[in-house]
Amino acid sequence: MLLLIILWILQDLLTVLFGGVMQLPELFLMGIVYKLIAEEREDKLWAIWTAFFGGLLWDLRWVGVPGFFTLGYVAVVALILWAWRVIPVHGRTLWVVFLLLESSQFIPNLVPVLILGGSTGGSFFISQQMYALPALLICLYLYSKQAEQQE
Amino acid sequence: MQSHNHNQVTEFVHIIIALILGLFLLGGGANLGISKSAVDLLGAVLSVPEYPAVILRGAFLSWSEWVNNKDEIYVKLKLLQDENIKLKALNSELMKDKIDAGLDANLREARVTLRAPSSWWNEIRIDRGERDDIAEGLPVFNNGFLIGRISSVSLMSSWAELLTSPSLMLPVVIEETRELGIIEGDGTGRILLQYIPAGRGIKPGMNVNTALIGEDVPPGLPIGKIAEELTPTPDGYAVYRVEPGADLSKFYTVSFLSLNKK
Repeated sequence: MLLLIILWILQDLLTVLFGGVMQLPELFLMGIVYKLIAEEREDKLWAIWTAFFGGLLWDLRWVGVPGFFTLGYVAVVALILWAWRVIPVHGRTLWVVFLLLESSQFIPNLVPVLILGGSTGGSFFISQQMYALPALLICLYLYSKQAEQQE
Repeated sequence: MQSHNHNQVTEFVHIIIALILGLFLLGGGANLGISKSAVDLLGAVLSVPEYPAVILRGAFLSWSEWVNNKDEIYVKLKLLQDENIKLKALNSELMKDKIDAGLDANLREARVTLRAPSSWWNEIRIDRGERDDIAEGLPVFNNGFLIGRISSVSLMSSWAELLTSPSLMLPVVIEETRELGIIEGDGTGRILLQYIPAGRGIKPGMNVNTALIGEDVPPGLPIGKIAEELTPTPDGYAVYRVEPGADLSKFYTVSFLSLNKK
């Protein structure tokens, strides 16, 4: 949990630093998704409510209207829980993990666009994915190392 | 297996609750009146850890603005410098026209009646005095250039101290750079410009004019040009030799500004 708090604050500080200059990755949600995927725990409720409150705080800090990222974060967690359960163990390849991590970057920013509309175009999402790529690759590397150890 | 299914159902229920809460917040949160207070409170709490990032962002933006606009600032600076030079030149022209008009209106001729060998570079006597509206301090010209000032006046003649005299010190200005200095003679025919800090870009050929001296001598009267830079003084001031516009070694008549303004 401490790691997720640190990630939330780090994401907030990076937004203060580079907001408006570059599209910042959703480090906090990426952390939740990574923990969901990498840690084989039966209890997953922590992920739902951590995503809920993390998203709510993000809304209050950066959007001003609660609900957008709250919904987006919870939706991502729901998607990951469903996908991770549906996909058989031998099908959980690095590509699948990559796509699931990628969804944590794509969906939360899509929710406001879907609800409010607006001018956010494809370039916004592409640049955000590019900036998120290093963190995403680190998560993939850590996951592959862990999978190796388990094997 | 049953426990597994139970977990799934629990998760499902929690997700539904979380989504409903999210939708509720989205739909009515803004109208509840608490979200603004919560936003303010959170902003206040986070302002503490965010403070270094705010400072860093400010510095980064200032730096990036400077880098992006550097060329533009240089171009503007160059334009301002050019404009400044043009304005100075225009000001000098206007001043010169005014002085020329004044000189034309009040300039009168006088003949040199004595130039003693013992004080050859110091003073001359001319054949005009009080009756010709001469007064102490008035400028004396030759060939359109200042060569000295009236130092004493009698009824029919006057003495003028020359620029080459060591006791006549006049404030002057370099026309091109607007640097101020003092000229004084060395008693051997040379005129030295002093008290200008070294390294101010003063070059031979630049014009030397009078600065504001007093009511009798207007600023902008031409004296001569910078001839060469001599050895700087130990206290960091440069000394220049001034080549006077008039031939101070050989002249028989001078002009002076009459007090009788027409």
